[in-house]
Amino acid sequence: MSNPWIAIGALALVAVVIPVSMLTMSRLLRPSVPEQGKRAVYESGEVPTGDTRIRFNIQYYMVALLFVVFDIETVLIFPWTVIYRDAVANVGLARVLLPMLAFIGVLVVALAWAWRNGAVRWVRSPRTTAQRVDRKS
Amino acid sequence: MVVEIGGFAVADWVTLAPTLVLVAASLLVFLIDTVEPRPGSSSNAVLAAVTTVGSLLAFLVAGYLLVVGVGQERVTGPVSMFNGQLVVDGMSLFFVVIVGSVTALVALASYDYLAGEAYQAEYYALVLLAATGMSLMASANSLATAFVCLELSSLPSYALVAFYKDNRGSVEASLKYFLVGALSSSVLVYGISLVYAASGRLQFGAVAEQLGARPEFAGVLGVGVVMVLLGFAFKTASVPFHFWAPEAYEGAPAPVSAFLSSASKAAGFVLAFRLFLTAFPEVGGLAGGDPAVDWVVAVQVLAVVTMFVGNFAAATQEKVKRMLAYSSVGHAGYVLIGLAAISAPDSGFVLGASMMHLLVYGFMNTGAFLFVALAEQWGIGRTFQDFNGLSTQAPLACAAMTVFLFSLAGLPIGGGFISKLYLLAATAKAGTWLLGAALIVNSALSLYYYSRVVKAMWFEEPDGTVEIESYPTSLYAAVVIAAVATVVLLPAFGLLSPSAFNAASGLF
Repeated sequence: MSNPWIAIGALALVAVVIPVSMLTMSRLLRPSVPEQGKRAVYESGEVPTGDTRIRFNIQYYMVALLFVVFDIETVLIFPWTVIYRDAVANVGLARVLLPMLAFIGVLVVALAWAWRNGAVRWVRSPRTTAQRVDRKS
Repeated sequence: MVVEIGGFAVADWVTLAPTLVLVAASLLVFLIDTVEPRPGSSSNAVLAAVTTVGSLLAFLVAGYLLVVGVGQERVTGPVSMFNGQLVVDGMSLFFVVIVGSVTALVALASYDYLAGEAYQAEYYALVLLAATGMSLMASANSLATAFVCLELSSLPSYALVAFYKDNRGSVEASLKYFLVGALSSSVLVYGISLVYAASGRLQFGAVAEQLGARPEFAGVLGVGVVMVLLGFAFKTASVPFHFWAPEAYEGAPAPVSAFLSSASKAAGFVLAFRLFLTAFPEVGGLAGGDPAVDWVVAVQVLAVVTMFVGNFAAATQEKVKRMLAYSSVGHAGYVLIGLAAISAPDSGFVLGASMMHLLVYGFMNTGAFLFVALAEQWGIGRTFQDFNGLSTQAPLACAAMTVFLFSLAGLPIGGGFISKLYLLAATAKAGTWLLGAALIVNSALSLYYYSRVVKAMWFEEPDGTVEIESYPTSLYAAVVIAAVATVVLLPAFGLLSPSAFNAASGLF
């Protein structure tokens, strides 16, 4: 039997040759019309305002962090719910339910703390408020 | 699983009680801050009390479990739980004792240090969470758990160093600490992946079993072991990842410097001890025969280089806090002897000497940094000259500082003398004369720069510009308690060292 790596090498070669040849062909055939709009930053079809290096609102970070916490919580709870009935039948209610309650309890304490400290309060940034006023006038 | 503690049969997770106490204390701090969320509105006294009592309780519970013999050969043997992910034995309890005592001292001192600051609850919560991570590190028994525990103790530390977020020095120090930490974490996790690639196991004992004395992929394993070693060098502030230490310790609030340089270092060491002695003993040639991956030599090189770099750099410093930071690097080198001289016939003694040095160091180094915290509270400067004639105004604190410094240097005024003597005996037993010589040369050198502070405090004339107005009670109490513990450890050393030696020999 021939070496299986030959087939993989051939596949890799084809995978490189096809896109490169297509790009080269179109480069040779197409007309070249440089124009301002083509060089602008793409912002989903909008006319871009300002540059990309702006300060993002800290809220995005807070929301993202809370999301990660709950995401991981879901990942742990999901398999737990799947085995819940079998586990209760095998080792009893307390040993199945209490660890999960403790886990969720820790997260609830953290969420309550974050909530009370304003992590999910929506703060308007002075910059966007100022822009909105500009547009009205 | 059921284990017996002092005559009562309890579930095995009860042996983790010291760690659980720290968790409960941190949750309590969060609850208090939830009730009073405006910065600075919760009572500093309540928060400091919860933190101090919580860590003191962890210290006492760990001490009690150690005394009644939980997890040790004579009673239960190592208590392994969660499929061997965590293990409670003499070693882990011994280090929880260190972490608990340092955290209690730091929390006590923070009460005065933080007076009037905003975000006190966050500070105490982060200290407790970091302490939780450190005490779990002592029990971690698999590569994955070890990494998670390491991050649990590192992430709060980064935030703690940047506690003065309007102070450029504090933020810069934290950024450097964070970047070096991120780099070394990635090195560590890559090392872990290589070890996993070579062995196919994550749990320490299973790794050793799978590797045997002649592993199949010795090259991959060798690179992995070296990278894991470098990852731990960050946590313990050893060469080559030591350069964050002076910056971070200087920029951080002084109690945080004390916490990081004592507790965090001890936690890094316990994890390194456990990992290298339970996962890589045979490949390192500890069971006899030619080593496949000679990590003992690598540790020896690191130990000697760390000692020299730390002490020579400390000798050239002008600021007291930076001097202490470099001296803490040097002490990491001394403690590394425990691993470097492990091939001695009596390896329990060698490792026990290192553990005892970390215990004594926990008190004397924390005390020295807390004295610096006291000096910062008084608003006197940071250089050696600024300490001139301080003893005329604060004789008690200066006496305590003298005890710390001379004990750090290894003079027979505190426990540091005997622990260094034991380390020297350990190098002699192993026949690693180079390590012993490095220890002696560096201790002699360290006496020079430690005595510069003592000379400034006691013999120089005060320049008369500094007037000490207040004598903060809790900071003073913490400094004095640390000094008393340092001195008491000199006669009491023999009482405690058998438990260290037993705990150490439990790993072999």
